[in-house]
Amino acid sequence: MNSVVCIKRVPETAEATLKIDPANRKLEVDNLVFGINEADNYALEQALLLEEEFGGEVIVVSVGPPETDEIIRMALAKGAGRAIRISPENLSELDPYSIAKLIAHELEDEEYDLIFTGCQASDDGFSQVGVALAELLGIQHLSMAVKMETEEESATVNRELEGGLMAQYKLNFPAVITIQTGLNEPRYASILGIKRAGSKEIRVVEPGSWNEKMVELNKLSFPPPGKMAEIFQGSPAETAEKVCEVLKTKGLL
Amino acid sequence: MSAGDLEKHDVLSCIQCGRCTAGCPVSIRTTFNIRGTINLNLRERKKWIQPQDIWSCTTCHTCASRCPKGVGIVDYIMGLRSYQVERGKIDPAARDALESILKHGNPWGRVREKRSDWIGENKVRILQEGESTEVLLFVGCTPAYDPKAQKSAQALSRILAIAGVDFAIMGNSETCCGNEVKRMGELGLFEMLVEDNTNLFSKYKFNKLVTISPHCYNTFKNEYPNLGDKVIHYTQFLVELSEKGKLKLSNDNEAKAIFHDPCFLGKQNLIYEEPRTLLKAVLKEELLEFDRNRERSQCCEGGGGRMWIEVDSDKPRTAEERVRDAHYYGAEILATSCPFCLLTLSDAVKTAGLEDKLQVKDICSIISPGEGEKDGQT
Repeated sequence: MNSVVCIKRVPETAEATLKIDPANRKLEVDNLVFGINEADNYALEQALLLEEEFGGEVIVVSVGPPETDEIIRMALAKGAGRAIRISPENLSELDPYSIAKLIAHELEDEEYDLIFTGCQASDDGFSQVGVALAELLGIQHLSMAVKMETEEESATVNRELEGGLMAQYKLNFPAVITIQTGLNEPRYASILGIKRAGSKEIRVVEPGSWNEKMVELNKLSFPPPGKMAEIFQGSPAETAEKVCEVLKTKGLL
Repeated sequence: MSAGDLEKHDVLSCIQCGRCTAGCPVSIRTTFNIRGTINLNLRERKKWIQPQDIWSCTTCHTCASRCPKGVGIVDYIMGLRSYQVERGKIDPAARDALESILKHGNPWGRVREKRSDWIGENKVRILQEGESTEVLLFVGCTPAYDPKAQKSAQALSRILAIAGVDFAIMGNSETCCGNEVKRMGELGLFEMLVEDNTNLFSKYKFNKLVTISPHCYNTFKNEYPNLGDKVIHYTQFLVELSEKGKLKLSNDNEAKAIFHDPCFLGKQNLIYEEPRTLLKAVLKEELLEFDRNRERSQCCEGGGGRMWIEVDSDKPRTAEERVRDAHYYGAEILATSCPFCLLTLSDAVKTAGLEDKLQVKDICSIISPGEGEKDGQT
């Protein structure tokens, strides 16, 4: 079973101090640490598990700058066979459609049963590349997979819906599946493994300037500070109780 | 594990006497049996299984220090772990800690830009490249980020300032020492950290490298090239300062205190006296002692990656036994000199329901004269 996994290098922004470069409509990234997009890491693991079970090859594809090789090497260390890095000149101007189109173009000559992507990128949050890719390749897709049982030529996939509903689908290969976090437990890429993966192939594609986009980013800004916060007073036990009450009222508990 | 690996750690000398397992702090509460693991490995070299149990090990070194044949048991366990690390299928918490060290230089998933936030209002000089200082204070990841352990870094820097010591830290450039990385079997990342830190240290001039954590002390002292003579644990350094008259300690702390020997300070580096010298100098009453003290000190289960890795057991943690023992001996303060011990024992005080009766404190927080507060109330 051959799988293609689309991975993206994203900045870790949870605790970092973020600054916006207004002229270029992007984040200032000098002080940020980058890694593989979390959902993509689960997508990669799913492909590696299938390779262990059914054999075949895992091919990693990423659209990004040369620094993307850091996460590609990690994916190769974990067991992917080879990789394709697509680096157009105008990377920061791409939208999901143009990224999907770039990937679809490179996959024309590849043989695959499944294409995995993460369900969403943590930086731009579009959730569209996987779905657009399926449309461009003319194959089926399922998004937001939380569980997957695979056979030789088909898979049964669960999608989690609002209100705790679970929908189960069966789809035949080839197909694109976009993966939610929590579907599996991603493995670790050791440093020695990453070094050894240096001998595996990363094919670099440089398509120059790529102008097939459909949407354009106008500006990037922080939301205005809201006045919704309420600070609970009292002992830890009292405040914890109040927090529980709020969570219950909002249907989260 | 190949025959070569077994020879490397002298595992072939094992006579299966079982002293290792008998002394192992986690064999009491988990299925981990190091004698059994060695036995299995020796008998079935090719078929040896990968027991998840080896992740129970705290690398406390009790086994190795009691082994009559000098088997490098802890190195052997690190070797077994390294095989699993290479395969990538390790405990998710261990994975996250290791990935965080690679990305952020600390195992706690915290960003580098906040590494020196602990300084707060304290006056601590951050060394710039090329500058020199008498003492380079290596804060360590846990005292840098953990709110409870941060108090050790703050207290120690106040003590050093009061004693007039020329000291500085590396600020946000400081990076994980790698002691736990090596013990989790991630030998490639450990080598990388040794190289990075050696390069980093070469950018500054200093005569002493003082560590807060015995874990940082251990690896810098014993596993880094060309650093050993400069490395000193803070308890040793404060005793030096006290002997030279630079640090005046007065025995006006009325609390009853007992000392817990950290494994990486005591049984692994034989530093038993200095923590006691400091405590005796500030306590009004006699320092209490555990029955299991010094080289028999009971591990708190914070070493060898166990700060992150949870093990299956229906028995209480060894740290919980330890705090119950401390309470039994009549202690009001359980003193230690290790950030990991500080955290595991503090948690254990809560689970044992001893919060009103027993406080866990780092020695530097006991002897530090807090701002506007009397000794012992920092």
